[in-house]
Amino acid sequence: MPRVAINTPAPDFELPDFSGKIVRLSDFTGSKNVLLVFNRGFT
Amino acid sequence: MAQLRHDHQKFVERDVQIIVLGPENAQAFAEYWQKEELPFIGLPDPKAGTLKLYGQEVNLFKLGRMPAQVLIDKNGIARYVHYGHDMTDIPPNEELLALADELNSQ
Repeated sequence: MPRVAINTPAPDFELPDFSGKIVRLSDFTGSKNVLLVFNRGFT
Repeated sequence: MAQLRHDHQKFVERDVQIIVLGPENAQAFAEYWQKEELPFIGLPDPKAGTLKLYGQEVNLFKLGRMPAQVLIDKNGIARYVHYGHDMTDIPPNEELLALADELNSQ
């Protein structure tokens, strides 16, 4: 399983949110820090 | 997730966009977001393409995905990566907020 290493570029991705709006990680480059939370399931 | 909602404004103040990804479908996300009134982005990833890209582990014995957090700076560089060892292994918001402060001061 690949893992992301610290101080390397985070892999870009593109996914629709639950309303269908496309979200790309690169949309935030230059303007925001991003916290990705890989959820363990809704409880 | 409730903890993230509780401290969401503190993340906003630090220019941090929270994005939650999970293997559930769009309907499950929409229902959960509406019920919990979550203010951040929710990305269903039922094909698990991005989850795999980032190496989220699936623990077959504990029947679930292990939590993981990645903090990325404004240049798109991963500056903090935490892979949980069990379902409750999640860094406290205070730690993530302190890291965001550090990123913003650089």
